[in-house]
Amino acid sequence: MNASPASDATAALAERVRHAHVTGTALRITGAGHWLDAGRPCRADASLALAEHTGIVEYEPGDLTMTVRAGTPLDALSAVASGEGQWLPLDPFGHLGGTIGATIATASSGPLSGAFGTPRDHVLGCEFITGTGNVVRAGGRVVKNVAGFDLVRLVTGAWGTLGVVTEVSIRLRALPEIDRTLALETTASEARRWLRASPYTPLAAEMISARLATDMSIGSRDTLLLRLGGNRALVHSAAESAGALAGSRDVDATVWDTLRTREPADAAVVRLSTSSSQVAALWDRVASIVERAGGHAHATLQRGIVRCMLPVRSDDAEEHARLRGIVGALLTLGSSVVERLPSSLWAKMVPPAASDALSIGVRRAFDPGHVLNPGILGELA
Amino acid sequence: MPTDVAEHVVPDLASRLAAIVGERRVLARPSELRSYESDGLPGYHARPALAVFPGTRDETIAVVRLLAALDAPFVARGAGTGLSGGALAEGSVLLGLHRLTRILSIDADDARAVVEPGVVNATLSRAAAAFGLHYAPDPSSQTACTIGGNVAENAGGPHCLKYGVTLNHVLAITVLLPSGEVVTLGSADGERDGYDLLGAFIGSEGCFGVALDVTVRLARDPQAVRTLLADFSSVNAAAHAVSSIIASGIIPAAMEMMDGPTIQAVEASIYAAGYPVDAAAILLIELDGAVAGIDDDAARVDAFCRDAGARGVRIAADPAERARLWQGRKKAFGAMGRIAPNLVVQDAVVPRTKLPAILAEIQHIAELHRVRVCNVFHAGDGNLHPNIGYDATSADETERVHRAMAAIMQACIDAGGTITGEHGIGLDKLPYMEALFTPATLGAMCALREVFDPGRRSNPGKVVPVHSCREWFAAPSARAGGAS
Repeated sequence: MNASPASDATAALAERVRHAHVTGTALRITGAGHWLDAGRPCRADASLALAEHTGIVEYEPGDLTMTVRAGTPLDALSAVASGEGQWLPLDPFGHLGGTIGATIATASSGPLSGAFGTPRDHVLGCEFITGTGNVVRAGGRVVKNVAGFDLVRLVTGAWGTLGVVTEVSIRLRALPEIDRTLALETTASEARRWLRASPYTPLAAEMISARLATDMSIGSRDTLLLRLGGNRALVHSAAESAGALAGSRDVDATVWDTLRTREPADAAVVRLSTSSSQVAALWDRVASIVERAGGHAHATLQRGIVRCMLPVRSDDAEEHARLRGIVGALLTLGSSVVERLPSSLWAKMVPPAASDALSIGVRRAFDPGHVLNPGILGELA
Repeated sequence: MPTDVAEHVVPDLASRLAAIVGERRVLARPSELRSYESDGLPGYHARPALAVFPGTRDETIAVVRLLAALDAPFVARGAGTGLSGGALAEGSVLLGLHRLTRILSIDADDARAVVEPGVVNATLSRAAAAFGLHYAPDPSSQTACTIGGNVAENAGGPHCLKYGVTLNHVLAITVLLPSGEVVTLGSADGERDGYDLLGAFIGSEGCFGVALDVTVRLARDPQAVRTLLADFSSVNAAAHAVSSIIASGIIPAAMEMMDGPTIQAVEASIYAAGYPVDAAAILLIELDGAVAGIDDDAARVDAFCRDAGARGVRIAADPAERARLWQGRKKAFGAMGRIAPNLVVQDAVVPRTKLPAILAEIQHIAELHRVRVCNVFHAGDGNLHPNIGYDATSADETERVHRAMAAIMQACIDAGGTITGEHGIGLDKLPYMEALFTPATLGAMCALREVFDPGRRSNPGKVVPVHSCREWFAAPSARAGGAS
């Protein structure tokens, strides 16, 4: 962002952070509050809410870029962009009214990330408040920019621990001419083989476990949800090619929002990941374990990520022991990111995410008093 | 910050480095160092204290550890094609990595490769071609520049419009920190929680350490390619065609603009591509992807160009014609180099809707300072390359070129743009950093650098003005925020 000064609202937030730094008050940063129950062990004395910090600062459709305050809900942002035939192809799981700030702070993404990447690929610039109350304006509003060290990537996915994100500039895309979704009852390995061999790049290719497919009324066995975009001839040809895999049928595009909002807020969620060549093997091992445990799984095949949801039936010791067994088994199967877990299990099962010397150094440089979401990435040395 | 390597310690340092890499791989005599006094940025000459060229990963580690023990500043260098002076190493040890040229693996199933930093960009794509794959970022210098240098600069290229820049193609890097410690950033086999230190490292211009190996994503060769050449009688019309195409949802693999002076330079050179010499601007537009639907998109692009006022649009009939059209674009800088003894290749970005206005403004600035600007650039990204040929032996002309460039940079900043889209800050653009970023932002960059390189020995004095860091660390609120 250019050297223009921060807004009054940002300055007021910065003053609160500066005060927190001086007084040693730990702050829990919140957007719309939908991710609050993630169970992450965050200790805080006070809350710093950005829910009111909303609105579009600048939107020039011809540039396909938008600058927006961090508390702006994703659905509100989408409504404005779609009015111009554009979208932010970023579909994180959870409430559709989650904020852009929280999406970027947590680097959350969904099925569209297979084609469009994760928040780090969409964010052009951001304004954030460091743990000492300094307002930093990093990156810019243009789609290509290598001026200076990349602070934008640094705060994306830092869970607020390096700075309170107050404003972001994002890259939008034009909506595809045709946006068509197919459901195909097929196996993960067949689906992956098709993806690798075909000349098409689907907008999304999400493998859905049998129970989830049944719940969503799209199939009765493991099902591939394939989202195809582009001009008429391209989408027609891709649909025909995919149709050779298994009987396919068109489903309404709302199926994607259904999938995004399918997880109970108190469920345990674990993402397992591997290289794309190994994802079908991972799926075959994981999906059945998760379904037997009463949960469901779905996989973003192009990225090699299997997302596992396990319902938490009660808050007692017996249920926690059961969960601990299942989650523990899952964590041995691939690279893992625990997204949500009852907080009592978190400390026992999840190693700190930022425990290496460089991460500790970065945290110390940007939030020396540990006032921003302390503990949320695990305990730091 | 360490000072230069003192002259009297050079002989001792040279012999200790020679013990690691061999006598022939250490240069210390001024005559030997002459080729390493400059990089791709013209007009700058800076002699390193000495130069060392390790041949293996272990030698590189041993060299950097020795330099750490002696508190000696160093500058990593790949092919030296950088255009911002990032590899200039005045008074420092120049660490040449161009001998580390092994492609360690190519994994066709997962479409990725692991390479040493000295692997040449185009060499990687050639090696991947057997698998129907290529490395997508394609800077114009791709036949010479190295992957290590591409990582340092977060390099782009014409095809980044659709495929993204270096950042979007690197999965993991084994980094040798300036302290000599080896760490892995990123992950090639699945996600990890935690800070995106890989993202921070890419584009850090050699200030955060040295890449020992880089795991990159390879792109599949498209099933079909269509390359169109559209010919315009005004730059403005060409810029409007760019806007219409981008807004339509069609994402070309590349969309490059060349203005009249550039076309004439190319056509007068051995790289003549058959561009219309009387055109005010041409667009070179490439579509790629599946065969199905590609001709429909090509027809729409053709129509957008004609609606914007194109005099003609033609499509490359075969791969040979396509290669010829691209060669003219990629060698445009070389062609310009023929018509003037010296050439400044500039790099800036503006929002795409500002292209017509900024191109007019650049023309105005050129006239004001009596210089001749050739524009050849990535129009789809708004990434400008206004280039000025001149004679550096004329002090007056050199001064006018510098003034014009400063005015162009300021105009791009005023238009809401930035001062570099792919060449980096290096030394050349340090003076503009304070016009672009607030003191707190520059301070945060310094703080980040301190984490990777507390001694500020790795490529000292680049990217962020030294006095910005000094002011940041002197301020009471920042002292608490600075690395301790």
